[in-house]
Amino acid sequence: MLEEVFPHVVFRVLGIPVQNTVISTWFVMLLILGAVYWIGRHESEALVMLVDFIVDSVSEVMGRSAVPYLPLLGTLAIFIAVANTISIVPLLPSPTQALDTPFTLAMIVFFSVHYFGIRDRGLRGYLKDLADPIFLLPLELIGQLSRTLSLTLRLFGNVLSTQLIVAVIFSLLPLIVPLPLIGFSMLTGVLQAYIFTVLAAVYIAAAVTASSPPPEFAEGPDSGSLGLSATISK
Amino acid sequence: MEPRTLVTIVTIVSAGIAISLGTIAPTLMQGKAVAKALEGMTRQPEVADRLRATLFISMALLESAAIYVLLVCLILLFANPLLDRFF
Repeated sequence: MLEEVFPHVVFRVLGIPVQNTVISTWFVMLLILGAVYWIGRHESEALVMLVDFIVDSVSEVMGRSAVPYLPLLGTLAIFIAVANTISIVPLLPSPTQALDTPFTLAMIVFFSVHYFGIRDRGLRGYLKDLADPIFLLPLELIGQLSRTLSLTLRLFGNVLSTQLIVAVIFSLLPLIVPLPLIGFSMLTGVLQAYIFTVLAAVYIAAAVTASSPPPEFAEGPDSGSLGLSATISK
Repeated sequence: MEPRTLVTIVTIVSAGIAISLGTIAPTLMQGKAVAKALEGMTRQPEVADRLRATLFISMALLESAAIYVLLVCLILLFANPLLDRFF
């Protein structure tokens, strides 16, 4: 029972192994495309409401309009939310419970952060800001890589752990008892989609905004710096 | 006792100890963050929306430490590298 939580190879196409999470990724894609087509035909106000909700909540975090980055961020939000909750369908595991899918999404975020930074501020300005004190450049690069890793592992660990809890409870008491935990796993999945999107938005906002210190730190007698300078002047 | 069994027993016990010790600090800090955010929300309800968004982001960042512990424990339990290397 527990082994079914982990992805396994279902069949091979020309020697390329196809895991069951890949198959459920195809189902997620079909589901999103079909749902968007149907809702767009019949209840197009619902799509407008969804897009407005995503734009509002992401713009608030970014501190600027999120509309230029909406194709990436909205796709991430909708895909991860549907992919995390697809596991309530029998025989379809979440695509995010294999390590490949979160890693791919995090790599997309990694490259698009640099793409948006270079597009909005020019290659020169972006690189200059990245290596502002030149001796901090290695730390900056390590930070870029480690936040990609932490995006991957956060999504993967949350989804896999809730699925494992459901599987353990199911192997003990298969009737009724796992239901609240399944609801909890759906809640966690949607919350993780929100967090992944918001963190991607924060990284993009950091890349496209010039890293001058905020005005409340640049000016105004900060008590800590005042005390330090007073100590030095003595 | 067979060495394979011994390694398995030690792994299971240490995974249990690791997850219980490793989740204490993140959970304490998350509780602190929630308490401070609630305090700020009750004091200034007009900035509650901004506080909530920041709270979610910081909770996710705090939680990643606990997630790393969880992943190490899962690797130890389900894909133990020591069993294949030594025996």
